[in-house]
Amino acid sequence: MPGDHRRIRGPEESQPPQLYAADEDEAPAARDPTRLRPVYARAGLLSQAKGSAYLEAGGTKVLCAVSGPRQAEGSERGGGPAGAGGEAPAALRGRLLCDFRRAPFAGRRRRAPPGGGEERELALALQEALEPAVRLGRYPRAQLEVSALLLEDGGSALAAALTAAALALADAGVEMYDLVVGCGLSRTPEPAPTWLLDPTRLEEEHAAAGLTVALMPVLNQVAGLLGSGEGGPTESWAEAVRLGLEGCQRLYPVLQQCLVRAARRRGAAAPS
Amino acid sequence: MTQGAWCGGGVVRARATRADDVRRAKRLGSMASVSLSEAEKVYIVHGVQEDLRVDGRGCEDYRCVEVETDVVSNTSGSARVKLGHTDILVGVKAEMGTPKLEKPDEGYLEFFVDCSANATPEFEGRGGDDLGTEIANTLYRIFNNKSSVDLKSLCISPREHCWILYVDVLLLECDGNLFDTICIAVKAALFNTRIPRVRVLEDEEGSKDIELSDDPYDCIRLSVENVPCIVTLCKIGYRHVVDATLQEEACSLASLLVSVTSTGVVTCMRKVGKGSLDPESIFEMMETGKRVGKVLHASLQSVLHKEESLGPKRQKVGFLG
Repeated sequence: MPGDHRRIRGPEESQPPQLYAADEDEAPAARDPTRLRPVYARAGLLSQAKGSAYLEAGGTKVLCAVSGPRQAEGSERGGGPAGAGGEAPAALRGRLLCDFRRAPFAGRRRRAPPGGGEERELALALQEALEPAVRLGRYPRAQLEVSALLLEDGGSALAAALTAAALALADAGVEMYDLVVGCGLSRTPEPAPTWLLDPTRLEEEHAAAGLTVALMPVLNQVAGLLGSGEGGPTESWAEAVRLGLEGCQRLYPVLQQCLVRAARRRGAAAPS
Repeated sequence: MTQGAWCGGGVVRARATRADDVRRAKRLGSMASVSLSEAEKVYIVHGVQEDLRVDGRGCEDYRCVEVETDVVSNTSGSARVKLGHTDILVGVKAEMGTPKLEKPDEGYLEFFVDCSANATPEFEGRGGDDLGTEIANTLYRIFNNKSSVDLKSLCISPREHCWILYVDVLLLECDGNLFDTICIAVKAALFNTRIPRVRVLEDEEGSKDIELSDDPYDCIRLSVENVPCIVTLCKIGYRHVVDATLQEEACSLASLLVSVTSTGVVTCMRKVGKGSLDPESIFEMMETGKRVGKVLHASLQSVLHKEESLGPKRQKVGFLG
């Protein structure tokens, strides 16, 4: 029988029971600070998207899809001399629109879909990290849409989303200078602060500072950098950036193999 | 002069006028756009390589900054900062509310940035929203650690009442280097904030009552010793410059935003812009940011204390200066 909502008033707001649980502070286990979790990457899995990629690292699962190039809204008419390599002039360059979404069940607490400021900030970080790698000058008056969906947050979510987005762009056949590989780091709090590469969600929650670096491995250029918290002096941040860049370089061969496998799969599936 | 003012050094020489017909539009994302010709860009880039900028500054010099606090009377604290032609007005209002569930014995800060259409015509309607959200998110990130502002002093009674500081930033005019100016203004406004002292009285039945003290000057002040300042370093050619004007920002593809406290501790780092950065230049920019940040903090502290020592009878300039 359905509940009698008129006489039995429930609370207006709901909270998960973990908030009221006894403080079981499980400190994260000590581990080698330079270990990277094993990564599973697959490109070309969504049939409706131009390019897509799925990346799983530990408990973090990200799905990314790319669509376009399609005509940009408000593309203005403009002239001016072309850039180097036959690229469109600055006013006509293509645009990259990035969208980052968290599934409501991705974190410990349920978060309703319009996630507000944090998702906009991460989408902007995605865009700023992918723009140096994509040859937008070759897509005048067009826009490419990249949408990343975080299915489960197991730590370093932004780094995984960056890597998945770059794989999806490569899978879509978008012209790029290089792949973008992302790596997350976090700093353990005060007694003996050390920077840990590729933190898990538990390590991120207990961290004093976090950092995400995005690297273009072949060109050795940093495409994106976002970090905050009590990281200490500049030498500590510099050491973290170096560790992150090294982690990105180690991840690169895995992504190359993933793209090769996807290309072979596509070649085998095409009717000859 | 009642406003606090300091100059970054360097003699300002008159800029040579350029023919207006050699212009090409260039957009920098959602910032105010400026038209620069190829020749002007080359002029700026080559000058920077020689450590000489268009207005005669060195690569690490700030423009003249004017700071004035307590400009808006309805707020708990306010400040207005002018850096070159960039004009920012910040108002802080303290209101009572319920603390967040995860942090029941702390108050918090809420930031809102409004890009007014006065700054540039592109900000008309919803145009300035993207830039406003980006700046607000950066401010949240910077203040997101335990040491910036003592949030425990904002608590009135745990789990029930706390002070929420609504920091509202208004962009009146935009001439490059928004983040630095906004952070200076927020720091000055927080320094100026006076939160009235309240007491919680308990009745016999256990119901609580909040009592405001009768003396209007009885208030608590926030300590802004550890509030960080942002230093934006724009990469132009092979060197980086601090406090870029709009024209210099148009020549730079990538910038690094570093938030430094007065002791040289970095609290936030972010790469801004469409281009990529070399790892070595990131390390150099961080060092420069720390060095410049320390000098900026020292100057700002001395100016704020000097302005406060002039007392309540000082002549306010506000928008008439």
